[in-house]
Amino acid sequence: MRILVVEDEVQLQEQLRHKLKDSGHVVDTAQDGEEGLYFGREYEYDAAVVDLGLPKLGGIELINQLRVEDRRFPILVLTARGNWQDKVEGLEAGADDYLTKPFQMEELLARLNALLRRAAGYASPLISEGPLSLDTAKKEVRVHEALVELTAYEYRVLEYLMLNPSRVVSKTELTDHLYEQDFERDSNVIEVFVGRLRKKLVPLNPIRTVRGQGYRFNSDTAA
Amino acid sequence: MKSGIQTRLLLITTLALGSFLTLTGLVLDRSFRLSVLSGAEEQLRLVIYSLMGAVQSDDAGFTLPDQMPEPRLGQPESGLYAWVNDAEGNIRWRSPSAVTGGVSFPEEGPRLHPGEFRFRAEPADGAGLIFLSYAVIWEDPEESLLTFRVGADRAPFHAAIQSFRRNLSIGLSAVTLLFVLAQYLAVRWGLRPLRTMAQEVREMEEGHRERLSEAYPLELTGLAENLDRFVAHEQRSRSRYRKAMDDLAHSLKTPLAVIRNALEQVPSKPRDLLAEQLDRMQTTVTHQLSRASVAGPLIVSRQIELRALIERLLRALETAYRDRGIRVELDVPASLGVRADERDLMEILGNLLENAFKYSRSRIRVSGSRGETLQIVVEDDGPGIAPDVREAVLNRGTRADEVESGQGIGLAVVAELVGLYKGRLRIGDSLLGGASLSLELP
Repeated sequence: MRILVVEDEVQLQEQLRHKLKDSGHVVDTAQDGEEGLYFGREYEYDAAVVDLGLPKLGGIELINQLRVEDRRFPILVLTARGNWQDKVEGLEAGADDYLTKPFQMEELLARLNALLRRAAGYASPLISEGPLSLDTAKKEVRVHEALVELTAYEYRVLEYLMLNPSRVVSKTELTDHLYEQDFERDSNVIEVFVGRLRKKLVPLNPIRTVRGQGYRFNSDTAA
Repeated sequence: MKSGIQTRLLLITTLALGSFLTLTGLVLDRSFRLSVLSGAEEQLRLVIYSLMGAVQSDDAGFTLPDQMPEPRLGQPESGLYAWVNDAEGNIRWRSPSAVTGGVSFPEEGPRLHPGEFRFRAEPADGAGLIFLSYAVIWEDPEESLLTFRVGADRAPFHAAIQSFRRNLSIGLSAVTLLFVLAQYLAVRWGLRPLRTMAQEVREMEEGHRERLSEAYPLELTGLAENLDRFVAHEQRSRSRYRKAMDDLAHSLKTPLAVIRNALEQVPSKPRDLLAEQLDRMQTTVTHQLSRASVAGPLIVSRQIELRALIERLLRALETAYRDRGIRVELDVPASLGVRADERDLMEILGNLLENAFKYSRSRIRVSGSRGETLQIVVEDDGPGIAPDVREAVLNRGTRADEVESGQGIGLAVVAELVGLYKGRLRIGDSLLGGASLSLELP
């Protein structure tokens, strides 16, 4: 998943970037509100982590602006002040959840995952489509209760497709959301991952190729 | 006892006016009395002259005609009497009016010298009469000292004086009353701006008004402006203080977050120790900062509509806890209001509601009512809080060295804030199955 982190404290920003990368996300970081707004306008994100105390453009204004421009990705707000005025204003501006500093990284990851899931319309960390189930908390995939061994990239492809069901996802979109910007954009890599993934999910075939457009997760085929 | 300005002004003017008018009354009364008496004296003098003119003296002696020069002298007990005495005090003649009644009064005081008048308005023994006496040397038939004496009934003169007095006191009382009334109205009118100001200050206290109106008379504009400035200053310094607290929070907590995350790279043995100490620091900082950022009751605070505030917090919390599918029942009348700092109230209610969202399984109920005090109850269907730890939950972390690591200082902070507003926070059981937190504010 592609995550935007807007945090002015460099150390914390670095830590967030590392932690999120380690758990398989693609991360863009911005130092202030204006940069955050630029990134938010320019790229498609799956979620954003926004500190409220930002220079140049405050966190609340940034969220407001993003929502006004119809950017709908879930936003997790970080607040150091921890007062309710800030939390409520943040949520009213269009944020989806809040976390008070200092926080545990694990807590942040859990909240972020919950937001990503929620954005896809799933309430629990366990996403099930017939015999296929994906546990977004544990990052595990099972077919008929049997654990399927997947590499991190294979898991991410499946998770992204399952979180965007009944919609055609292009190879470019997959690349954008699963890899760093500087990754060599070779659509063959995606094809290879999808191919391996399909083999591991046999007898199910939930990933359908839409010729010339991309892939679509299809629960009917999975059933 | 404190007396109002109005009472003081009225008291002073009434006293001053009262003594002035009493004095005026006394002077007028005295002047009138003197003028009545001198009129009486003049009348009596005329009677004496006419008597002297009527005397017929021959060898036989001293006689007066039967026909009196003043008719009343001829009528018995007419109220006007005359006598003529010789030097020895023997009565040589008396008017017919004085004969039948046998009216006779001795001349008082030292002997009169010839040509001397003596007027007595209140003779000691002269019951009901006033006298005028005149001594004269009468040469015919032989030279002798005669005293002419006229007495008149005092009653008519006194009646005139009494009637004047009555009229005077009625008139003066009416004037006094009128003046006091006018004074009362003037004072009320004059002090009306003060009453208006008191009313407006009360409205500010109750939160119905932001500042004083501007229509004050010259003498009060200074006071009104100072009052406005004072209120504005309180609000300004409060927001300055809050900003300082917010900055402090930001500059303390962000490094704490960085340290906490960096700990993961530290070998496990020092890490546990560091993490524990970090937890303590974090809890203390969080706790003390939330305590410090509470302003407490303002001198002049707005009336806050509770229902609107709770709804706002609930909307926010429902967004954050969307996954949990928690059903919230809100039973707070729209009319319920409370005078407090809005941000303080937000902290109190935000923490209570968040607590309920955290622990409830599926239901939360928020109810509010006002009896003698304002009561807000937040209930959930979570695990509840065991009776033996309730006290500890409310008092946790009130001293830095008591601070336990980790979560759950929210309710203790709330209890403290509520204490600042002289209210109470109590933990009980809810019919929903979980905890019931009832907040009571005066």
